[in-house]
Amino acid sequence: MGLEDRVLTGVHFMQGNYAAVEGAIAAGCDFFAGYPITPANEVSEGMARRLPAVGGVFFQGEDELCSIYAISAASLAGAKAMTATASAGYDYMQEGIEYAVAVEAPIVVVDVMRCRGENFATQSDIMQVRWAAAGDHEMIVLAPSTVQETFDFTVRAFNLAEEYRTPVVVVSEMSLALMRERLEIPAASAIPVVNRKRTAKSPADYLPFHADSEYGVPDFAELGTGYRVIHSINPHDERGDIEWEPHAFDRLYKRITGKVRENRTKISTVQRFGLDDADIALVAFGSEVRPALDAMEMAREKGIRAGVMKLDAPWPFPEEAIRDLASNVGAVVTVEMNMGKYAGEVERAVCGKCRTARATKNLGTPHTPDEILSVIEEVRA
Amino acid sequence: MNTKQTSIRFCGFGGQGIILSSVILGEAAVTKEGIYAAQSQSYGSEARGGQCQSEVVLSKNPIGTPTNEQNDILVAMFQAAYMSHKHELKKGGVLFVDSGLVPDLGDVDPSVTVWKVPATETAIRLGSKMAGNMVMLGFIQEKTGLVSRDSLLAAIRESVKEKYVEMNTAAFEEGIRMAKEDTGA
Repeated sequence: MGLEDRVLTGVHFMQGNYAAVEGAIAAGCDFFAGYPITPANEVSEGMARRLPAVGGVFFQGEDELCSIYAISAASLAGAKAMTATASAGYDYMQEGIEYAVAVEAPIVVVDVMRCRGENFATQSDIMQVRWAAAGDHEMIVLAPSTVQETFDFTVRAFNLAEEYRTPVVVVSEMSLALMRERLEIPAASAIPVVNRKRTAKSPADYLPFHADSEYGVPDFAELGTGYRVIHSINPHDERGDIEWEPHAFDRLYKRITGKVRENRTKISTVQRFGLDDADIALVAFGSEVRPALDAMEMAREKGIRAGVMKLDAPWPFPEEAIRDLASNVGAVVTVEMNMGKYAGEVERAVCGKCRTARATKNLGTPHTPDEILSVIEEVRA
Repeated sequence: MNTKQTSIRFCGFGGQGIILSSVILGEAAVTKEGIYAAQSQSYGSEARGGQCQSEVVLSKNPIGTPTNEQNDILVAMFQAAYMSHKHELKKGGVLFVDSGLVPDLGDVDPSVTVWKVPATETAIRLGSKMAGNMVMLGFIQEKTGLVSRDSLLAAIRESVKEKYVEMNTAAFEEGIRMAKEDTGA
């Protein structure tokens, strides 16, 4: 097993950022563009080392805008493409994200959220990854909690991007991106790989932005294979021609948002821990799931029936899962590494059906189990 | 909770191989012994020559919170780093210090077991001051048995450049030998 193998099957002691690299390559990534930024640099560095060895292309853009457009262009030419950045770098990419949404380019963006300048963990960009790009759009955002999930979710990110022809963000935090832990990479045959649906139509009959249903995904034709396709950020009709007529615009964006929104229960999976008899439910994603699970056990040792709902994908918002949760517990506590952002969404979905509380902090480190436990105890009192 | 896991914090200054020691320990645990390990680190912008620290949690079960405010073992390779992290050692914990570079322990809780290891001095005698971390790792292995000698040797071989393998394994073996002789008396 070596640098030239696409899937490094076996048990590794690996850093989160490198797990994203290996997940991407296992999923078929063959183009990467990025611009240096801490604490996401290991993704670029790992890609520079690994991609050429497996026949892919590594490209260092002159900045983030260049990098995000490079991966969309590579994707429209048929590549599976990724970039990696961190908070401030993600800011710069927004026009490119908007473009990828509009032209339905499957791309994957790894965003390692950071605060206090560089090497500190945060989840303060959880709304940024959802809303920062202009225009109507739904984002798919996956939030791993372990190095293993960083690998698994990066594979899944490529598969979702291909299935729905849309940008997918893998969001992590310094506390996960720079942590090393056990990673077991399965045999290549056990890793599911999805490829976008190519058109069976001839260039003359092909409508690049036509879908078979209201919320469908158009079949794809690669650039440079004889199909005439204009990929414009402007409103466009099924032929791809720029069309300013309001109903055409409405139809396009209903489909672009609907293809993700209508599939949210499939995309935004949750994992339930101790929720069967829980009185107090913690809702968490990313690094915060780990202390939440420890706090749940500590609470249970004290006779408090706590549980955890772990969100694999904070976006699209798992509306049904949270609503259902609120009907079955006495209180929902949102745990997040910021001053309180995602909690607003959770509380909207809870809609007064049970009590709510927040465990929020933005000091550059995840919560300790004790800090979460104290919020559980306050809620219970 | 956390009764089945052991946390070890390494601290010192950039360039001493603090992070490498912790990575080798984790590598040995995960890929040689089949248990779980999580290694986290932090260092300031002044990484070279500034203080740095790294924490490893070893466990037979999957690891929840990968960092702890209080650790079972503290390894200090430099006085200033020791002063920054000495309060992060549990009561009843084990303290390993580089005796040449941490001359002043101050008040240490009587429940703590202290091992003073002339790690860097020994490494210099062996020909490379850079291998002080390996002397310390050998000493820790012998005293704690957290992972086996063979697992650590295999992890060292995989983690350092080929031309440094001999120096590092020799320093590691010397650390083991010193620990066998040091009865704490």
